[in-house]
Amino acid sequence: MGEGWPVMGTTIVVGITFGVVARQAGLEPIEITAMSLLVFAGASEFAMVRLFSEGAATPLVIATVLFINLRHLLMAASLRPYFMRAPPARRLAAAFFLTDESFAMATSHFRRGGTSLVYYVTFAVALFVLWNLSTLAGIALGSTIGEPRRYGVDFAITATFVGIVVLAVRRPVDIAVAVVAAAVAGVLALAGASTVAVITAGALAPALAVFVRK
Amino acid sequence: MIWLAIVGSAVATYLTRSLPFALNVRRRLPPAATRYFEALPVAIIAALVGPAVVAPGGMLTQGAEPLAAALVVATVAWRRSLLAGVIAGVAAVALLRLV
Repeated sequence: MGEGWPVMGTTIVVGITFGVVARQAGLEPIEITAMSLLVFAGASEFAMVRLFSEGAATPLVIATVLFINLRHLLMAASLRPYFMRAPPARRLAAAFFLTDESFAMATSHFRRGGTSLVYYVTFAVALFVLWNLSTLAGIALGSTIGEPRRYGVDFAITATFVGIVVLAVRRPVDIAVAVVAAAVAGVLALAGASTVAVITAGALAPALAVFVRK
Repeated sequence: MIWLAIVGSAVATYLTRSLPFALNVRRRLPPAATRYFEALPVAIIAALVGPAVVAPGGMLTQGAEPLAAALVVATVAWRRSLLAGVIAGVAAVALLRLV
């Protein structure tokens, strides 16, 4: 479990950032807490805050979150052989805590020959607890910062997204996908279509990855 | 309406996490679909960046946000640290807005 410390550290930092940013965007503490407890998906929660502050319609928020999280289907499908050994109730409960991070840790555990779900569950639930505690800390901190624009705090959410994208790039085509998605969404937003900009650009750009194999 | 969006998003997210453990999906996705889904998170998150950089708060940027975003790219690519990138970006945007 020792190899999980960097991931836990990042979770705490991003969780605090999320609480601060969501509070600054005008969401109520109870709403922010509910997002971290029920949705428990960092990028989606940040996206929701942005869409809420732009007044996006409810179906659009849900559709955007669904799109961001479709990758879970791939991760769950790859963990399926190991999970299917557990009773249905247990594996469906364990599925709630599936994240990019717990997937990565579980995959390396199983590749080393592990078979038990205990390793995954321990790590995944620890991340859930840390994420929610740091969200709470961020909410408290966010309520005390007076004027976010003056300190550049409003930019923290954008900087977080930029960093997530940079860290997620694995192949050259990922860079092209990211640049095209950002450019298309930026143009659409300038044209006044800011709420549909994200889902339109986000759904179109991955087509590049279908045709380019590098 | 915010509550409906939160609960709806929670249900949508849980479905993506649990469906492969609930259904008997034996068939693998075609490679093209796999490549599409693998690129999807990067695309959506990058798409969130575009409007925030060119039109923060709905108004055309005066240059602080694109410059700061470029600095975040450089910092994270160099240090491989999200925290370093966010600190650099926030500090840069605060300074650039003073100029």
